[in-house]
Amino acid sequence: MVSDNLKVGVFICKCGGNISDVIDIERVKESIDADVIEEYTNLCSINGRKIIRDKVIGDELDRVVIAACSTQSHLKTFQAYVQPLNPYLMDMANIREQCSWVHSTTDDDFNQKATDKVITLINASIGKVSKSEPVDPIVVQTPNSAAVVGGGISGMSAALSLGKQGIKTYLIEESPSIGGHMAKIGKVFSPVKIAEECGLCLLNPVLNDVVWNENIEVMTNSKVVKANRRAGSFNLLVETKPRYVDSEKCLSCGDCVDVCDKLIPNDWNDGLTNRKAIYKPFAQCYPDSYVIDIDNCDKCGDCKRECKMDAISFRRENEMIPLEVGSVILATGHKLFDPDLRPEYGYSRFKDVITQSELGRILGVNGPTKGKFQCLSNGEVPKNVVMIQCVGSRDDTPNGHKYCSKVCCMVALKNANIIKHKYPDTNIIICYTDIRTPGMFEKYYKHAQASGIRLVRGRPGEVGKKDGHLVVRVEDTVKREFKELDADMVVLSTAIEPSEGTNEIAKIFDVSQSEDNFIKEANPKIKPVTTDIQGAFVAGTAQDPKDITDSILQATASASKVSEIVSNGIEIEPFIADVDYEICDLCGECIEVCKYKSMSIEKDRIFIDPMSCSGCGNCIAKCDKNAISINGNIDEMIFSTIDGILKDKKPGEKRIIAFLDDIGYTAADNIGINRLSYPESIHIIKVISVNRVMPKHIIHALKTGADGIFIGEYPGDLLYDEIEHNMKKIRREIEMNNMNPERLAFSKVYIPYFSGLARKFIEFDSKIDEINDLAK
Amino acid sequence: MKQIPDKNILLFKSCLVSIEYPGVESSTTFVFDKIGVDYFVSREQTCCTGLGHYSDVFDQFTTTVNGARHFALSHKLNRPNFAMMCATCYAINKRVANLLNENDELRDSVNDVFDDCGFEWMKYEKDDITSRENIFHVIDIFYSKRKEIAENIKYDFSDFKIATHHGCHYCKAHYHDTIEGVRNPHIIDDVVNACGVETVGWYDFKRATCGNGFSQRFVHKDLSMDATNDKFKSLKDKNTEILIHLCPNCHIQFDRYQPYMEKHYGEKLDIINLNIAQFLAIAMGADPYNVVGIQTHTVPVEPLFDRLKLLSDEDKKMIIENVSRKVDLDNSADFNMEADTIKVDFKKGAK
Repeated sequence: MVSDNLKVGVFICKCGGNISDVIDIERVKESIDADVIEEYTNLCSINGRKIIRDKVIGDELDRVVIAACSTQSHLKTFQAYVQPLNPYLMDMANIREQCSWVHSTTDDDFNQKATDKVITLINASIGKVSKSEPVDPIVVQTPNSAAVVGGGISGMSAALSLGKQGIKTYLIEESPSIGGHMAKIGKVFSPVKIAEECGLCLLNPVLNDVVWNENIEVMTNSKVVKANRRAGSFNLLVETKPRYVDSEKCLSCGDCVDVCDKLIPNDWNDGLTNRKAIYKPFAQCYPDSYVIDIDNCDKCGDCKRECKMDAISFRRENEMIPLEVGSVILATGHKLFDPDLRPEYGYSRFKDVITQSELGRILGVNGPTKGKFQCLSNGEVPKNVVMIQCVGSRDDTPNGHKYCSKVCCMVALKNANIIKHKYPDTNIIICYTDIRTPGMFEKYYKHAQASGIRLVRGRPGEVGKKDGHLVVRVEDTVKREFKELDADMVVLSTAIEPSEGTNEIAKIFDVSQSEDNFIKEANPKIKPVTTDIQGAFVAGTAQDPKDITDSILQATASASKVSEIVSNGIEIEPFIADVDYEICDLCGECIEVCKYKSMSIEKDRIFIDPMSCSGCGNCIAKCDKNAISINGNIDEMIFSTIDGILKDKKPGEKRIIAFLDDIGYTAADNIGINRLSYPESIHIIKVISVNRVMPKHIIHALKTGADGIFIGEYPGDLLYDEIEHNMKKIRREIEMNNMNPERLAFSKVYIPYFSGLARKFIEFDSKIDEINDLAK
Repeated sequence: MKQIPDKNILLFKSCLVSIEYPGVESSTTFVFDKIGVDYFVSREQTCCTGLGHYSDVFDQFTTTVNGARHFALSHKLNRPNFAMMCATCYAINKRVANLLNENDELRDSVNDVFDDCGFEWMKYEKDDITSRENIFHVIDIFYSKRKEIAENIKYDFSDFKIATHHGCHYCKAHYHDTIEGVRNPHIIDDVVNACGVETVGWYDFKRATCGNGFSQRFVHKDLSMDATNDKFKSLKDKNTEILIHLCPNCHIQFDRYQPYMEKHYGEKLDIINLNIAQFLAIAMGADPYNVVGIQTHTVPVEPLFDRLKLLSDEDKKMIIENVSRKVDLDNSADFNMEADTIKVDFKKGAK
C-alpha cells in the first residue's frame, strides 16, 4: 500500500496502561508493516518527543503515524514532535478514546477484537499518510485597523475601546453628528439608584474621549456604499457628503441661522420644532459646527454673506473615500415603529397622542418646551396621562413585530416616574401586556408603583375623543372589565425595529439578517457579537432591541473580538479550495453554491477567502470544468484510509466505517471518556466535512468489503440539509450497484449527546448483522 | 396587491340577503352587468351554515362537508371564483377551504361522507379551492373595478354625509386576505370614493362590531344594543345621513333595530342604510324598487331620492380621471395599504 520510496514510522503509546492494559501491543507490532515501529509508555512526554525526533531524523522518515489518544488531546503536541517533518505528514490513530476505552470489557488478558481494531486503525492511518502532501498552515494577518459603522452609543463605545487598544479606527456616521439616539433621549433610567440620570451628561465624556483619541477618525455625513472582503481585510468605499460649512473655520456663532428663512421640522426634536436649513444638530454635537441641509436649502447665499469667518461655500461635492481595514463593527442601530400603522390609536388624528420618544423630548430641558411638561394642543400640564405599551411589539397581526422590544417597559416607567416626581397631581396609567423588568429593574418598577403610578393589564383597542378629551378604551384583563380611561395625553411605546441603515449595511456586507431584519449573530448563545462574515461584528440595536448598558457591553465585546484578530492574525487549516485559473471560465456557479460565502469574483478571477472557506468541497461538485480542487489531496486520502481499514479483512469479520466531522469525532471521544461501549466493528474516520465523502468513496468502501457506512453530521452545520438530501441519491446509487442501500446510515450528531451516538452505533451494528444474514 | 378575478365567478347567494334584503342581490347583479363581471348564480347552492354555526346549531364538521359540496359545485360549473355578498359566508368558506387544505385527516373524513352518500364527484382534493385565490367578497371585485364604476355613475351623492361600516367577518377573521386595511378598514370608502364622493372617513368606533354577534343579539341583548349604540352615537356626531356596509347581518342590526334604538335611547337617528351594491346600483340609475328593493328597508330610503342630482358630464369626466390616477397609485409598488390616507379630492380637482 505504501509506495516503496516512502519510509513510514509507527509510534505506539501505551498511555500508562490506558491502552496497553486492553490492547496486545506486541501482537500489534508484529502485524504492522512499517519501516520503524516503536512503543513507549507516554509518547506525549518530553522523552517521547526525543524518541520520535531521533527516529524521524535518524531513519529519515517520510511519514509518521502516532497511535495514541484523540487528536482532540494531543494533535498540536505531536505535530510539533515530528518536526522537521511537515505537520500534515503525520496522522494520529485514535486507539484510546475510540478503542481501548470503549472496548475494555473482556475476560482475556487482552481484548483480541480491540487489538484487531488497533491494527486496522493503524493501517488506516498508514494509508492516509501515504497519500498526504506537505501543506503549510495559513496565517492571515489583518491590518491594525477597523471601521465602526454607526456613531451612536454602541459605535462610539466600540471605537473608543479599539482606539484605546491602539487600533486605527474609522467611526463612520451618516448624519452630521455622532451621538445617536442617546443624545436626544433626555433622562436615562438607572435601576440601581432608582433614579433617572441625564443622558447627555453620561454621553458627553464618551463623545469627548472619542473626539480626542488620536487613533479614532470620525467621519460624519458619511456612509459605506461598498464593501469587499479579501483575506483578512475589508476594502470599503465611503461616500462623504459635504457640510458646506468648513468645520475648521466655523466658530459656531450662529449668525448664519438668524438670516436663514427656511423652516424644516427638526428631527432631533422628533419634528416637534422647526430648524433652519443651516443648523447645528444639537448643542453638544461633534463636529461642533454648523451644517447645511442642502436638500432643503434654496442657496440664496444669505448665510454665506453673513459669515464673518467665510466658512461657507456651496461649491462642494460628494467625496468617495476608499478605506482598507482589518475588521468592521456594524453598529447601525434602530428606528421606531411608525405609529400610523396603528391608526386606532389616532397618532395622526389627535395632537396629544405622542410617542415615548416625543415625550422624552418634551421632558428634556433642551427640548421643544424647555423641559416644561405640557400638552401639545393647548400648552397645559396634563392631568391624566395614559401610556400604551407594545405598540408594534408582541403583535402578530399585519405590520406588527412578534418580538418584545425589551426596553419599553423601563422607558415608560422612567418617563412616568419623572412626571410623577415633578407633577405629583398628574395621574398616570400604564396599559401593559406584561410588565418586563428583569433583574434590578424590578425595584424600579416597584418604586414606580409606590409613587402612585397605576398599571392596567390590557392592550387598548382604540383611542377616541369624548366631551373634548381623549379616551382610551381597554379591557382590564385582571379585573375582566371594560374601561374607558380619560386622558389629556396618550403616550405610545412604539417598537424598536432595525434602522434603514441596518438593512442597507447588511446587504452591503452580505451579513445574514434575522427574520425580523436585525443583523444575525453567528450563534445567538455563544457568539453574540460575531456575524456569519469573518471579521465583521455587530453591536447595539442593529442586532436586537436592547438598552444603553447592553449596547455598550456588546460594543466593547466586539472591540475585543477585533483586537483578538489584530493581535494574533488568524491561523487557518490549510485544507481549503483552490482554483485553476487556466480552466475556470468564471461561470460563477461555485459562488452560488458556497454556503460559507467565501467565494467572489475579483479582478476577473474567482477569489476564495481562506478565512471563511471550510474545505467542504461543495464547489468542487458544482464545477463542470473541474477547475477547483482542495489543498491536501483529501479525495485520495479518503480512498487510502478506507483501503487501510479494509486491509486483511478476514472472512466472517465485520468492519463498519463511520465518517465523522469535528463535532461527531468529539462526540465519539466523549463515549470513550465516559467509558460507554459500542461494537469493535465501528471504525471512525475523521473528515473535515462529511460533504467530502463522495458517493464514489462509499461505493468503493462497500465494494471492497465494508459491511456498512455510518455518516454523522451536526444539524447546525450550514450544509446539513444538503447532505441529508444527498443521502437519498447515494442510496439509489448503492442500489444500482446491487448492494443493499440500508448499509448506509445517516444520523444527527451532537457533542453532549454522545450516549445517543453510542446507541446508534450499536443499533447500526446489529442492523448490519441482519443485512449480512439476509445476504447469506 | 392580490389578483382579483372578474371571470368564472360564482355569485354566492346569502340567506339573509334573500330573506331580508333581496335588493342586495339584484343590485349586485345589476352592477356586475354594468362593470363587466362574468358571474352565475346557482340554484343548487345552499346556506353556508354561518348563522347556525355561530349560534351553535351546526358544528364545524357539518359546515366543512357543506362547504366542500359548494367547492365541488363550483368546479362542476367551471366557476371556481366565489364572490360573497355576506361577510359571514366569506369568513366561513375561507375557513373551510383552509381546513380542507391543511388538515388531511379532516379532508379524509369529509370525503368518507361523500363516499357513503354516493356523491363521489363532490370529493375534495387538496388545493381544489384556496382561500386567498378563489374566495372573495363582492366588495373586492368592486374595488378592482373602480375605473369601470366611475365610468357608469349617473347620480351625484356628494352632498350627502356618508359613513361606512366594514363587517368584522370581512376585516378581522382572515386579515391576511383583507384588502385595504384591517386596522383602518377603508375598502368601502375607496369604492364610494370611486363615485366621486368623499366619505366621513374615520369615526370613533369605526372598527367596532355592529353589535349583532349572531346569538348575542338574543342572549345578551343589552351588550349587543350598547355596542350598536356606541356606533350610532359616533355616527350621529359626524352628522351621518347614509351608512354603507357590506354584510346583511350588519344591515339588519343598523336598519331593523334602528327604531328600537331610537325608542330605547330616546334619540332620533334617521340614518339610511345601504349595502355597497345598493349604493352603487342607485348611483348607476337602477330602479329603486325593482332592483334596489328599498321597500324592504325599515328606515325609509325614499328621502334620499329627493336630494339626488344627476351628475354633470364635466364632473363625471373629472371623476373618471381622478379615480384612474388613484387606482394606478394604489397598484404601484411599495404602497402601504394600512397607512394610506391618500384620497382623491374631487371638488378641488387635485393634481
